[in-house]
Amino acid sequence: MFNALTADQLIAGLGSVLRAAAAATEPPDEYARGQLLSAYSITRLLTAEQRASAGLLTWLRTELRDALAPCSDEAAVAARERIAQAADAPAIGAVLVDLLAKLRSGDREPQARARVHAVLRTMADLELAALAGRPLDAGEAA
Amino acid sequence: MASRASGVSEGNAAKAQAALELMRSVGSVGTRATVLGLSQLEGGWSRHTYELTISDPEASGSAGEYIVRVRPGDSVVDSDIGQEFRTYELLVDEPIPTPSVDGFEAADDTPFGGPFFVMGRLPGHSVNVWRARDRNELAENWEDSRSLAEDLVAHMATIHSMRPERLRDAVVSRTFRETVEHWRGIYEEIRLVRDPVVEEAYAWVLDNEPPPVAPRLVHGDYRIGNCLLDRGRITGVLDWELSFVGDHRFDLGYMSLEYQAGRFVSPGSPLLNAVADRDWFEQRYAELTGEIVDRSVVDVFAALGALMLFSIMGTGVRLYADGETSDIRTAWGRYVFPGLRRDLVGLMGW
Repeated sequence: MFNALTADQLIAGLGSVLRAAAAATEPPDEYARGQLLSAYSITRLLTAEQRASAGLLTWLRTELRDALAPCSDEAAVAARERIAQAADAPAIGAVLVDLLAKLRSGDREPQARARVHAVLRTMADLELAALAGRPLDAGEAA
Repeated sequence: MASRASGVSEGNAAKAQAALELMRSVGSVGTRATVLGLSQLEGGWSRHTYELTISDPEASGSAGEYIVRVRPGDSVVDSDIGQEFRTYELLVDEPIPTPSVDGFEAADDTPFGGPFFVMGRLPGHSVNVWRARDRNELAENWEDSRSLAEDLVAHMATIHSMRPERLRDAVVSRTFRETVEHWRGIYEEIRLVRDPVVEEAYAWVLDNEPPPVAPRLVHGDYRIGNCLLDRGRITGVLDWELSFVGDHRFDLGYMSLEYQAGRFVSPGSPLLNAVADRDWFEQRYAELTGEIVDRSVVDVFAALGALMLFSIMGTGVRLYADGETSDIRTAWGRYVFPGLRRDLVGLMGW
């Protein structure tokens, strides 16, 4: 969810590998074969990721909204608003980095911090399951 | 004169010549030696690795097998290959199976695309714990003789028993805090997105700093995948580019990551590093070193190991995004992050 490189960057990279393989004039050595296998692996993972990403993003946004709803701390209130407006998961990640640092620094709203941690833990399970092509619902992951 | 033979492709001819000249210059081979083969191997993120076959009529006359280690310009680890070469030089006298080294070329402008050294090729094959068939091979050994588990723990104990003074001129020294700051500095420098799990984990490891111990040699990337295996024994302990003198418990923690047991997006082996039952390993380590393993301390180093991997794989992703490498594996590395995140949230008890 908080992963660098976008789908279009990955697809462009896959194209470069295919072009290099087509242009090769010598049999592939182990390294060249590894490049092709890595490209193949990306196609599988990217496919699974694309299938799941919209649902995971909606789930994450909703869970964080609920986790921060009881908070009166101004940082948490502002973060809740920014999360609602965030364009994608990396944007939500940036909001959470700032929020968790603020909550940690003054030991503010420890229960809110724990609730956000719990959301992130479930998110880790859901993302792995999605990438494996075996999506879980949140209840199974928790 | 060039020494091309049928096993060297046109594209590798200059590399073969450079390796041969280096070996001649240090007297590892004679003046009539020729290269029979040179091909790049699949592995190697921070180093490119080539298999080199040389015929030397002035030696035994039979073909000799070597490995060429190259630090490419787009390495995902900003480590000194000269340090790695000197480490191997020092380790050859120790009871750890490591290859002899046969010359170091420090120049950046080489046919290999960076500085390189040549080392002997030890017998054996490597395993990849992220492949089910390799995990099965390791599990069968555990169920049978446990010889790989015995070797893995014994070599770790030997590494940790070495006198670090011998290595201080060759290997960097880092305290716990310096190690944390080293990897966090790289994370801050290369990150393309901010990761709340990673940044919370850095705070967590600092909040849980273990009591210091006397510095020892730390391999820094100790796992079965960095060993060579032959007939159920470990015949080589390789890949020392991340070694340092510091808190040896880093090696125990790093190896205990579920990622190191083969979990990528699917679960891996229930065995530690896919090799041994964790309780057994820690008890055996205690028997060999006299040191009881404190699981809570080891978990802090496991988190630090995961953060190190975030920085290393993140460097690859950054190089790829910036167009500084075309190695597609560096882009693939982004898919390592979700599993590492899962390791971190578990270690922190979220």
